[in-house]
Amino acid sequence: MTGTSNGVDPTSEVVRPLGRVIATERQPNTPHEFHFWTALDAPVGIGTIVRVEGTHPVSGHIPRIYGVVTDGKSYTDVPSPIFEVLGYDGDPAGVALAPTDRAEIRLYSAAVLRQIPEEPLQPVPMGEVFSATDADVALALRMDTYLRDEVRTAIPVGIYHAGTTSAPIHLDADFLVGPEAAHLSISGVSGLATKTSAIEWLLASLFAHFPARKGSVAAVCFNVKGPDLLYLDQPAELSDEDRAMYERLGVPAEPFPHVQYFAPYKADGRSLNTIRSNEELVHNVTALTWGLQEVLQFAEVLLNRDDVDAKADALIDFIGEKLVNREFHDPRLANGKRYRVRSFADLEEFFRDVLAHLEDRGGESWRTHHAATIRKVRNRLINISTRCAGLVTDDGQTSDLPWGSFQDRTVYVVDVALLEENAQDLIFARVVSTLREHLERRTLGVDHVVVFVDELNKYAPGDGPDTYVRKMLLDIAERGRYLGLVLFGAQQFRSQVHRRVVGNAGTSLFGRMDADELATPGYATLSAATKSKLATLAKGQLMVRHPHFTQPVFVRFPRPAILLGRDGAERFPQASDVSFEAALLGALRKFDPSLDPTWVAKMRALYDDADLLAVRNAAVQQRPADVRRFFASRLASRLPAREAEPPVLPAAIRSLPDDPYAG
Amino acid sequence: MRLARRETATLAPNRLPPQGRLSERSSQIHESRDRVPSVRSVLRTVLAQIEGARAVLDAAPLERATFDTEPPRAVDAEPVENATSLSAPVSGAPTTGFGAFLDGRQETRVFAWLTPIAPLVIGTVSAGIQRREGRRMHSWGPTVVERRVYAPLALLDAARLRRACDPLPVVETLTQDDVASGSLHPTLLQERARQSAMRDRELAEQRVAESWCQEQASPLFVDGGIAGSERLSASPQAIGVVKSHRTFYGDADGMLAALSLRNGERTRVVRIAPRGRSPVHSWYLRLRDPEGHDVLWGLVRVEVAESDDPAGRAELVSRWVMAERVPLAVPDVRWDRMAYGVRSVEQALGAAAPSARQA
Repeated sequence: MTGTSNGVDPTSEVVRPLGRVIATERQPNTPHEFHFWTALDAPVGIGTIVRVEGTHPVSGHIPRIYGVVTDGKSYTDVPSPIFEVLGYDGDPAGVALAPTDRAEIRLYSAAVLRQIPEEPLQPVPMGEVFSATDADVALALRMDTYLRDEVRTAIPVGIYHAGTTSAPIHLDADFLVGPEAAHLSISGVSGLATKTSAIEWLLASLFAHFPARKGSVAAVCFNVKGPDLLYLDQPAELSDEDRAMYERLGVPAEPFPHVQYFAPYKADGRSLNTIRSNEELVHNVTALTWGLQEVLQFAEVLLNRDDVDAKADALIDFIGEKLVNREFHDPRLANGKRYRVRSFADLEEFFRDVLAHLEDRGGESWRTHHAATIRKVRNRLINISTRCAGLVTDDGQTSDLPWGSFQDRTVYVVDVALLEENAQDLIFARVVSTLREHLERRTLGVDHVVVFVDELNKYAPGDGPDTYVRKMLLDIAERGRYLGLVLFGAQQFRSQVHRRVVGNAGTSLFGRMDADELATPGYATLSAATKSKLATLAKGQLMVRHPHFTQPVFVRFPRPAILLGRDGAERFPQASDVSFEAALLGALRKFDPSLDPTWVAKMRALYDDADLLAVRNAAVQQRPADVRRFFASRLASRLPAREAEPPVLPAAIRSLPDDPYAG
Repeated sequence: MRLARRETATLAPNRLPPQGRLSERSSQIHESRDRVPSVRSVLRTVLAQIEGARAVLDAAPLERATFDTEPPRAVDAEPVENATSLSAPVSGAPTTGFGAFLDGRQETRVFAWLTPIAPLVIGTVSAGIQRREGRRMHSWGPTVVERRVYAPLALLDAARLRRACDPLPVVETLTQDDVASGSLHPTLLQERARQSAMRDRELAEQRVAESWCQEQASPLFVDGGIAGSERLSASPQAIGVVKSHRTFYGDADGMLAALSLRNGERTRVVRIAPRGRSPVHSWYLRLRDPEGHDVLWGLVRVEVAESDDPAGRAELVSRWVMAERVPLAVPDVRWDRMAYGVRSVEQALGAAAPSARQA
C-alpha cells in the first residue's frame, strides 16, 4: 500500500527501516501486539510510535500497522551469567580488554494503535518497521478524524517526540469538553508543578483552539493551595524551546488576557484573604461575600449528618421557605413583630424571640419544632457566620461571581487557599451548583465552563463519608458533559479518587507517578516498562489517555506562559495587614479613585466599623461611581456613633487617690 | 575450515578430479541473498517423476548420526624453530590481532530413498566471514550458501534424476572403487554423501577466505587449517586454528610435549607438508588450564604461512589467538577451543542457511 492510498504524504516516508518485525512460536504477534528488533543505536524507546509495512496484500491491500512501544528487551548470546564470570576470572574489568563484544539484541514489544485496513483484523504480519512521521502519528492516534479543517475540533495537548520525529498531539474537543465525552483527570506526584502547569497550558490551548462554532468557553479555577493559580495574567520568561513549541502548536505564548480573581475577606472583614493582595494586582481581585440566603441553601455542606436529622432538616426548610427574604409574622413572637430575615443577624434575632417565647410559656415546641431542635439549628447556623467569617456576612450583603455575564475565554479564579476546610467546601459547593443551575438554564453567559479542582483526593475520595461536595462532583462527572460543565481534576493519587469521578474522565493525563501508586490495580493495564517510564517522567512530560487513542501516548508540553506561583509571590509580595482605613480605601478606590484617606478617617469617626464594612460590601457588589454619595445614602438612617470631632472627655469630679489609672 | 580433515580423509584414488567437480559446481552457487530452491518442491517433483521413490520427512542430519571414520594417527613434522625445549610459555600479554573470522557450515539429510539402498541426500553448505569493527562483529562480503542433491548416480537413471531435481545440481557420491567393490551398504552411501558435502563446504570456505586475503590486509582467523589451499597457505593474513586433533603432527616427544602444555604455553614451530597439500608452519597452543579436564582441553593447533622468523611469528600469532579466549563461545560444547568470533560466524551462517527441514 502506498502512502497515497492511505492518505499519507509519500514524501514523508522514512527511507531506511528502523527495525523488522519478528515473531516466534513462544512470542507470537497478535492483532494487538507485535515485536520487532532494531539496530543497537536505533532511536526507539518506550512510547515511540512506529509504522509496520506488511509484505503480503490482504484483500488487495498491503497492511499498514501503527504501534506504540510498550516494552523493550536487550540480551546477548551468553546462556548464563556464570559464563561471563568464568570467562573473565570474576574480574569485571577484564571485559573491557576482550577484543569482541558479545552479540546483542534490542527487541521491542509494541501495542497496536491502528491497523489499516481495519478489517479483517489480523495478527501483525512480518515486515519492516519505520519511525512514525507526523502524518503517521495523526493516523495512528485517529486524530485525522478531527484535524480536517471543515470539522476541526483539535486541541493541542503537547508534542510527541522520538528520534527525528516531532509531531503535535491533539485532543478532540468533542471528547474533552463534550458532548461525546468530557472531563479530564491529571495525576502526578506533588512538588514538580506538572499538574498545575499542564492544566494552565491546556486551558491556554483550549482557549486558543476551541472552535467558535461550538460556542463560548470559560474556566473557573479553585486555587486550593499555594499561589500557583494567582498570577495567570502575569507573563513569564520562556525558553526558546518553549516558544518554539507554542508556535508549533499554534498557541499564543502569552498569559491569559482575561482573568478575574475572587477571594473572601479575612475574618476581620478588612482585607481580602488572598496571597494576591499586592497593590499592583488587586485591580482584578473581587471580594467574595455571601449572606444568609446564599449559605442556607448549602447548609448541608457545613452541617454533618448527625446535625441534619429529619427534624433539623424540617426546621431549616421552614426557615428557607418562610423566613428568608420573606415577610413573616407570628402573633406569639415579640408581640406580633414582623420579621424579614435577610442576614445572620436577622436570623439570630428571630431565634432569640422564638426561644424567649418558649421559655416564657414553658412550652417545648413552636410550630411543631421542638425546643431542642431549634436550639441545635440555631447553634449550627449562627456558627456558620463565625466559622466562615470573611466569606459569610452577618448583614446579608453579597459579592459574587458574575453570574449571567460570564465572558468567553475568561478565567475566573476563586482563591480559597487560605480558608478553613468548611469555608472551602461551602464555596466549592455553591459556585459549582450555581454554575450548573445557570448552564441548565443557559443563562451563564457562556456555553461551556471548565471547572478546575485540585486535590480531588480530598474532595471526591474513593472512601470516607459521602459528603455533599463528593456527591456534587459525582453528579458533574456523570452528567456535566450534557450541560457544558466540564471537570478538570488534579490529584496526587488517582487510586484514591472516587472511581466514578476518574472513570468518567474522558481524558487522563499522568505526570511523574509514585511507584506505590503505580502498583495499584488501576495501572495494571500498563506494561512494567511504561510504569517505569511514568515513575521517572521529567517535568514537562505527560502520558496522555484519550478516547481516540487506543494506547497511552507520551508528550511534552511547554511551560505555561504565566508567572509561576513562587515567582509571583516573590515579585508581588503579599500585602501586610493593613489598617482599617487603608483596607476600606483600597476596596473602594477601585470604583471611585477620588477617595482619599481624609474622607475615610472622617467616616470612621462618624460610624461604627461594622456599619462601614457593611456599606463597603454593598459598594463592592454595586460598584458605584460616586462612593461618597453611596455611603451617605446607605448610612443616612444610622445615627453617627460618634461625634465628628473627638469627644471631650468630662473631667472627673474628683480624683481617687488610690486609683493608678486616674488622671 | 576443515581443510586438514579433507586432506586426511580416505579418498579413493580414482575419485572424480576435484577441478572438474569444482567447475561443475561453481555454476550452482547461491549467495545468501538468492532464494535457495525449496527442499519440498524438489521432493514433490522427485516423487512425481520417479516411480518407487519414498519420501523421508523426519531424517536427522547425517552430521549428527555419523561418526568420523578417519582413524587417529600421528604424522612426523620437521622442527623449524631453534628452541632448546619442546614447549615454552608464550611471551607477552594476549593482544588483539585478528580483523575477521571465517567459518563454514554444512547439513545433509536423507530426504528420499529411490531404491531400498539408494538414498537421496540434500546438502546445504555455507561459508562466510565476519569482520570485527569497534569490538562488534559484522558480516563481510556475501555469505555463500549452496544446496545440492547427493545421490549414487551410477545406480540410478542419472538423467531422469537430474531433471527431477532441477534446478538443484545432483552430485555423484560413488567412487569407482565403491562400484567395483560392489559393497553398497546404504549407510556407506549416506556417508559418501556427507563426505561429498564436506568437500563442497571446504571449497566454499576456501573461496571466501581467498577473497579476504586478496582484498584485505588484516589477519583472518580461519576455523580449521589453511594447508588445503595453495593461496591461503602462502598468505600472511590467513591464520588457521585447528580444534580437532585426530591427526597429530610431531614425533612421540612432540606429542607428549603438546599434551603436557600448560595454560598459555606453546610447542615449538614445525613445518608440516602432508601429501597433496601445501606446506605451512604449525604449533600447538594451550588456551586454557587443563587441570581437571581432558588432555585435549583448550588445545589448538595453529597454521600459518611459512616465514623466515617462525619463532617470532608464532609468538605474535599465539598472543592473537590467546586474546580470543574471551568472551567464551558458549553454549558451543567446543568453547574451550573455539573463538567467540567463529561462533558468531556460525550463528550468522545458521540464519543465512536454513536447515533443509525448514526449507
